[in-house]
Amino acid sequence: MGIFDKLFHKPQSEHPVITAPVAGTAVSLQEVNDPTFSQEILGKGIAIRPTEGQIVAPCDGKVDMMFDTGHAVSLVSTNGMEILIHVGLETVQLKGKHYTTHAKTGDTVKQGQPLISFDREAIAAEGYDLITPIVLCNSDRFPILQAHLGAVSAGDPLLTIDA
Amino acid sequence: MKTITHVIQDPLGLHARPAGLLAKAAAACGDCTVNLTFKDRTVDAKRIMGLMKLGAKQGDTLTITCEGENEDAAAASMESFLKENL
Repeated sequence: MGIFDKLFHKPQSEHPVITAPVAGTAVSLQEVNDPTFSQEILGKGIAIRPTEGQIVAPCDGKVDMMFDTGHAVSLVSTNGMEILIHVGLETVQLKGKHYTTHAKTGDTVKQGQPLISFDREAIAAEGYDLITPIVLCNSDRFPILQAHLGAVSAGDPLLTIDA
Repeated sequence: MKTITHVIQDPLGLHARPAGLLAKAAAACGDCTVNLTFKDRTVDAKRIMGLMKLGAKQGDTLTITCEGENEDAAAASMESFLKENL
């Protein structure tokens, strides 16, 4: 019951929250068909099967790196969380096709601000899995208290952090 | 301080998976400081996001320095990690 003890010791509203960067179904990272993510090599996190084609900032912070291919973006939140959003698996191979970026490396962003839009149908039609892992690369410093699984809209609470 | 160099063999370069594994290997060096230099940038090899940001590609040369406790062992383990994984 460790998780609940912690929740009750500190009101949940005081914990940092990473919100959903895209609408869809949130699932455990273990369901991602890529060992880099499912084995948590990049850190702990969650994944979303997107039902829309836009990625928004999951928190206030700074774009640490917008990949020029638009298939991934990393952010550092105002309180130091390092978050990687990877839109689809192996999608680096699309070399930017079907992705449009709306922010660049170094930009300061607000939670909910559009970062990337992508053509779901076209990417799926090329045979790619669109599941989008959201990984906390420094989850050793920011343990995940609660993952909110199931249907989510962009901006809904996704991960509650123990910090 | 021990310094080793490595030329990237992986066709995809220092992408997510090797960066994650490299950060884990560096973290396993404990209190020894492990830095990685590519071109004019030096990053903490224990931080995944710093490594991915370098954008190092196949054929690029990485320089790794190990400094501090057990630096010889750290350099040896980093060298064998790089040979096997990158």
